[in-house]
Amino acid sequence: MDCGYGEKLILYFYGEAGAELKAGMEAHLKTCAACRGSFAALAAAEGALREETPLPSASVLAAVMSRARAALAGEKRRPFFSWTWAETAFAGALAAALVMAFAAAPRGNSPELAWNSGLDSTLDSVEYSLYRTQSDQSASAGDWDYNYGLLNAEGQALDTTAG
Amino acid sequence: MERHKGAVYGYLLRLTARRDAAEDIFQEVFLKLVHNPGAYGEREKFKAWLFTVARNAAMDHFRRESSRRAVACSEGDAAPDEDGSARAALDAVAASEPGPAEALENKLLGEKLARALEKLSEDQREVFYLRHYSGLSFREIAGMLGLPIGTVLARMSRAAALLRKELGK
Repeated sequence: MDCGYGEKLILYFYGEAGAELKAGMEAHLKTCAACRGSFAALAAAEGALREETPLPSASVLAAVMSRARAALAGEKRRPFFSWTWAETAFAGALAAALVMAFAAAPRGNSPELAWNSGLDSTLDSVEYSLYRTQSDQSASAGDWDYNYGLLNAEGQALDTTAG
Repeated sequence: MERHKGAVYGYLLRLTARRDAAEDIFQEVFLKLVHNPGAYGEREKFKAWLFTVARNAAMDHFRRESSRRAVACSEGDAAPDEDGSARAALDAVAASEPGPAEALENKLLGEKLARALEKLSEDQREVFYLRHYSGLSFREIAGMLGLPIGTVLARMSRAAALLRKELGK
């Protein structure tokens, strides 16, 4: 006769029953010989299996460890330039992006840089405009010094004519 | 491997009932892990994944053996006794460890248990061994086997009833 508690007994035996189920099973076990017998049979079977501790042979374990070490050593010895295709593609894309960024970046001394370089704080906007018309927008500081020298000479010439 | 080798090997030995087959599958399982560590995707507990791999490897082994036996039968060779698989498993287990004299009682119980386990269906045996060796919850086992938890519990319940009858409890 099936008492209907078979599956609940399994949960109870293996410690997966909630508090309510646990209490219900404990009450039921007091009255059901079949469930007590199943409980005892499971306990005997589990106990007997726990007594056995079979392990693979030492040679099998050694073979697995040896191949595992070889596999890991193979990974570590991987040469620096043995990239995968994905790594190569990524490196190429990154290099191209850097080249494009460099090409697009403004070069040389921008007028703002020359203007705000602090080389001569007395240089006013008129002289800057003159610098721009006379300068070939060269990036070198030498060119700036040369042109500034011209401006200076011209300024002196202007002072002379002004009297 | 250290943590799980005993449980996985014990499970495989019970399933295959042959030490050589259990060792072959054991190697296959752990080398699969070594060569393809990314196979474990952390979507489930590692132990559940490990036992799934072990079970699938055992099923592949049975399929290969089954086709090999079919060829042998067609060529007139006798097929191995499948009904003695539980007894063979016990013999394989006993052969894998030394038997102290004081373990005679356990050995006798083990023989009685082996006879009882022979009476279980394959489905019942599978769930019973999986629960014992993996320690996974029945919910996890149901997920592994792709079955409703009720089905898994029903198989265990029937296994327990049969063991009760065979062990005289």
